[in-house]
Amino acid sequence: MLKIKNLFIKEGSFTLGELSFEVATNSYFVILGKTGSGKTMLLESIAGLKEGVRGEIYCDEKNMTNLSPEERNFGFVYQDFMLFSNMSVEKNIKFSTRFKKIEKSDELFKDLISFLHIKELLKRDVKHLSGGEKQRVAIARAIYSRPKLLLLDEPLSAVDPNLRSSIMKLLKNITKRYDTTIVHVTHNFKEASFLADNIAIMLDGKILQIGKANDVLNKPKSIDVAKFLGFKNIFKGSFFDFEDERKDSYFSVDPNRILFSYEKNDKYFCYKSKIESILDITDHYKVFAKVKKRVVFAKVPKNMFDKLELKETKECMLCIDEKDIRII
Amino acid sequence: MKNLKDKQFLSVFVFLGSLIILFLTIPLIKLFGSVGLISMAKTIIQAEVYNSIFLTLKVAFYGVVFVLITGIPLAYLLAKYDFFGKSLLESLLDIPVMVPHTAAGIALLIAYGNGYMQRFLSFLHLDFIDATTGIMSAMMFLSAPFLINGAKEGFRKIDERYENVARTLGAGRFEAFFAVILPMAKSDIINGALMMWSRALGEFGAVVIIAYHPMVAPVLIYDRFNNYGLKFSAPVAADMIIISVVIFLTVRAINNKKYGSR
Repeated sequence: MLKIKNLFIKEGSFTLGELSFEVATNSYFVILGKTGSGKTMLLESIAGLKEGVRGEIYCDEKNMTNLSPEERNFGFVYQDFMLFSNMSVEKNIKFSTRFKKIEKSDELFKDLISFLHIKELLKRDVKHLSGGEKQRVAIARAIYSRPKLLLLDEPLSAVDPNLRSSIMKLLKNITKRYDTTIVHVTHNFKEASFLADNIAIMLDGKILQIGKANDVLNKPKSIDVAKFLGFKNIFKGSFFDFEDERKDSYFSVDPNRILFSYEKNDKYFCYKSKIESILDITDHYKVFAKVKKRVVFAKVPKNMFDKLELKETKECMLCIDEKDIRII
Repeated sequence: MKNLKDKQFLSVFVFLGSLIILFLTIPLIKLFGSVGLISMAKTIIQAEVYNSIFLTLKVAFYGVVFVLITGIPLAYLLAKYDFFGKSLLESLLDIPVMVPHTAAGIALLIAYGNGYMQRFLSFLHLDFIDATTGIMSAMMFLSAPFLINGAKEGFRKIDERYENVARTLGAGRFEAFFAVILPMAKSDIINGALMMWSRALGEFGAVVIIAYHPMVAPVLIYDRFNNYGLKFSAPVAADMIIISVVIFLTVRAINNKKYGSR
């Protein structure tokens, strides 16, 4: 298990931490955050590549805090691969054998080149590989060193979008197949939801929420996390006329679940609205309607839009099913 | 219209470029033309000439080796670290390129040709005045910045994350440097070494102050010109140029073929 305790680092005007979290052995942990939120800095701090890091880092109960990167046995894969251009693909993958003994190295090498489909590339010059090939080689090189922890820094960002899903499938199987734990940082929600057992949301150098992937992605615990995850229509409980303890809580409504009609429906929360603007998108309309001085965003299917003959300045009822109101 | 403008643009640039090419090559062509192959061959077999050219090539090479060992670590530090006084240090390193070469010779003579430094060199059984050590110092003093700056630019181009990855794969700092960083900067280092070596071969002003004897090729050319005139100095100059150019082009061609032309 990886345990981070009060990790803190300051570089220029940017401050990371203090951060504390745990990553279970053989699990896939994704840190999701915007570009510039300190994700790479966090990975480099865990790997021992940063100076001036405060706090403690434990791996399987062993204190790694003061160990040099080569003593930690943490693999690292950067988004732009960092393959050594003075070596062939095979020499890149086997680089770690120069410095440490790799258990069952031949067996591992054969398995890796078959699993990551790089048998044909072994003698090639790394400069002549495609993005997807380079990334597979970089992953193979890191796994070949038999790391206890594999740190992946936006590993799919520089890969052709067509190849991402195939590499994602490979990544998903790595933890169990190679008995390692993965910490993967990304700004891509799809990657996070597909790969992660657990997710941490990181913004401006702080972890705002951490938990099971499904919980974090669907139940944000703060407005900042909700906004970052793309939640729309965030309103206070008073907007929905809640009188109880929900009055001061925040809620979000999925734009796809908002209905327009000309009559009030008792099954729904219905409010008088005035359409302010309409954007024509390929398969739907984006409708911005004013309700109680707030603008509500709705996505209306084209057939529904035509049936209701919606247009700007038109007044109608905007209705929301209570089950579609999600608490934040 | 577009093609016409392109042609006008290229014509002006080709014309101006040609002027400088002519200026640089005419003296060499005239030199080889006036000396002739027979005279060059007759001159190169003279012991005084081939000993002098060999001495020049050898001492310049020793200088390059010395700066490779000491200048590469310095170039790495300058490329990868920010520290107090870095700009001053970089400016100091460029000073030898700017000062008159005879002035550099005088400075070297004062520094290493007498006093404690001379006694220290004598303790190491190294003579400075009229000796290869002095010649090597003069060559190095004026040409080392070419190698150091070349290596520095080479190291600057290498993303520090290569070293990071090497270290997470088990390499210590020295190992990461020798296994990854140095080979990746090799092309720039070799080009810098070539620049230093070729610059050192032509060093005259500082060398002549420190060591008239043993005569390196530039001093021999000057000596023959002074004592016997153009007819006897020109073949030595032609031989020296042809040997230097052949070595220079060979090393550069191998380097470019192996690491790609830049």
